[in-house]
Amino acid sequence: MKTLPETDRKLRAKLLLARRVEGDRLMLADAVLSAALDGSRALSANERAALDQSPLTLRRFRQLSIQRRAAASREAWNGSRGMLRAASTSAELEELATDDRCWALHFVAQDGAWRIILSLAAEAPFAARLMREQPLLRVIDGGGAIVLQGRLDADGECEAAWPFETAPAPHFQQFGAAFAVEPVDL
Amino acid sequence: MWHDFSVRQKAGGHDQDEEGMRLPGTRYQEHGWEQVRKLLGQCSLHALARTDLALLADPEALAGMPGEYVDGVAEALRATGRSARAGADGNSYGDSVCELALALVYELQARPADWNAFCAAVAAEYRRLGAFWLAAGGEAILRKKVNDMYAVLRDKVDADNYTAACGRGCSPNKIYAYRMLDTAYGEIARIFGAWRENAAQIGAILGQPLDAVPIEVRQMRSIGACKAEWILRWSETLERFGGAPGPLHTRSKRFASLKNSPEKIQAMLAEIGDYEELSANRDQDWLLDAGEAADWLDDYQRVLNESAEAASDGPDQLQDAADDDSGPAEPPPDAASEEAEDPAAIEIAAGLSLPPRFMQLARGAQDNGSWTVRTLASDSLPVRLAVYLKMMGAADDSYPGEWLDPATGELPTMQQLAVLDQVSLPTLRKRRDAAIAALLAAARP
Repeated sequence: MKTLPETDRKLRAKLLLARRVEGDRLMLADAVLSAALDGSRALSANERAALDQSPLTLRRFRQLSIQRRAAASREAWNGSRGMLRAASTSAELEELATDDRCWALHFVAQDGAWRIILSLAAEAPFAARLMREQPLLRVIDGGGAIVLQGRLDADGECEAAWPFETAPAPHFQQFGAAFAVEPVDL
Repeated sequence: MWHDFSVRQKAGGHDQDEEGMRLPGTRYQEHGWEQVRKLLGQCSLHALARTDLALLADPEALAGMPGEYVDGVAEALRATGRSARAGADGNSYGDSVCELALALVYELQARPADWNAFCAAVAAEYRRLGAFWLAAGGEAILRKKVNDMYAVLRDKVDADNYTAACGRGCSPNKIYAYRMLDTAYGEIARIFGAWRENAAQIGAILGQPLDAVPIEVRQMRSIGACKAEWILRWSETLERFGGAPGPLHTRSKRFASLKNSPEKIQAMLAEIGDYEELSANRDQDWLLDAGEAADWLDDYQRVLNESAEAASDGPDQLQDAADDDSGPAEPPPDAASEEAEDPAAIEIAAGLSLPPRFMQLARGAQDNGSWTVRTLASDSLPVRLAVYLKMMGAADDSYPGEWLDPATGELPTMQQLAVLDQVSLPTLRKRRDAAIAALLAAARP
């Protein structure tokens, strides 16, 4: 039974998109449709009628809706995971990257201690949103322990002292050879 | 042949390297068009010969019958669907030749003007030659009329596709002009590619005598680097070098205004070039509309609701989002009353090599609260399945298994459904089309 509402929806979408009107043209500008989509300006009654009566305008509306949803899903981010690679098992661990290549962890040895720097790749699809919203982030190891917690600075980085007794490489090996970068839900 | 620039050959000049033109949203401008056209011609002759001989004899009566033709072609297309030609990619979106042909046939049904033009052409020929389709060579005449119809239709469809994809209006004539320019560029690139042999013509295109390999010839790597004046001079001098007048210099008025607007030509060349680059580098953007998701319907409904609320003085209860289904007011017939399986139905299903209890099981698999079932409450199950078959195809992930013929894994065919419903095929077709019209009326909020 669960599939039927989906069939209904698909059929309804096909019906609306299959209509053709001779001499049809775009009845509403992108700006008008986009404003209606993002809720900043509702359509007037006449605009609403135009959208209903012009299948081509409705197809444009659909395209803008799809693009808007695709952009939103690209910007959405719920965390990135990474593994300790075979090549990075040497005692001198300098850098780790998440599988999506959106985050890097840098390790700097300093006066017998370690510092860890989390940095966001500029080309990450959600980079602009994170820089704007400045959410609280954390890095956890494979055992779930917090390695670093903080907010990005203007360079898209967050730095802290390495919190464990063990050096980074053996520490990660001990805890599943994995790590993750996550937003912290407050 | 300068009126027949259907597909551009790649600048390298290898025949198998046909690529065609890509513009935002267009589906019918690439390498597969020739195959789509041939397949439609073949299946049209099949459909017209089999079902419509009597109608062809009275071409004016054809005008009322696009449904029968469309179904006949669609059926023939599905039957050839597994052949190499039909299964081949027809464009860079990955649509197969068969899918493109099917989509175009269904477009025809939604655009009666194009069907009527075809019927008028058949009628005119009939007045001239009598039943020409029966005479020697008559098939070729009929095929030509079919080709003409689809040639017009594909540009109409792609003009709309382009408009929907990028939000700029576009006419079929403009699509035609884009294709002419793209083909002209391909020709110029081919001429430039053999500069030794074509020195005189290249000189005419560049507007200066040729001493050495000119830098323009070396630098033209894409259509975006082609200059409008080269196109104009190439067309102007084509007769001198090729024998036929160039496309911008025929007696036809088609490109009369384009001929005098080099800046417009330049902009169109740049647009084709930009999009080729964009679509080559950023696959995901031009595959965007491939998603079958109907999520945009949610946006549509929301926008309509917001508009209705803002346009009235207070929140309008009748337009409540939860109450968006404008189905029939009367309740659907009690499912239980249909539950008992009629022995005759079992016999019919068995005769079609469907499971004996097909009707009962298929009925049980419908959600009686669903929008479709409520809207089509007075229609039989076979009519409802015929609606899905027409609108969504024989196979769709969302169909419950009980609706499918185990032999094919797809919905029963129209013939099977007609037998199940104990009506003739034309009657089922008529009821199906009426049901689609009713659904469409209900789907529009």
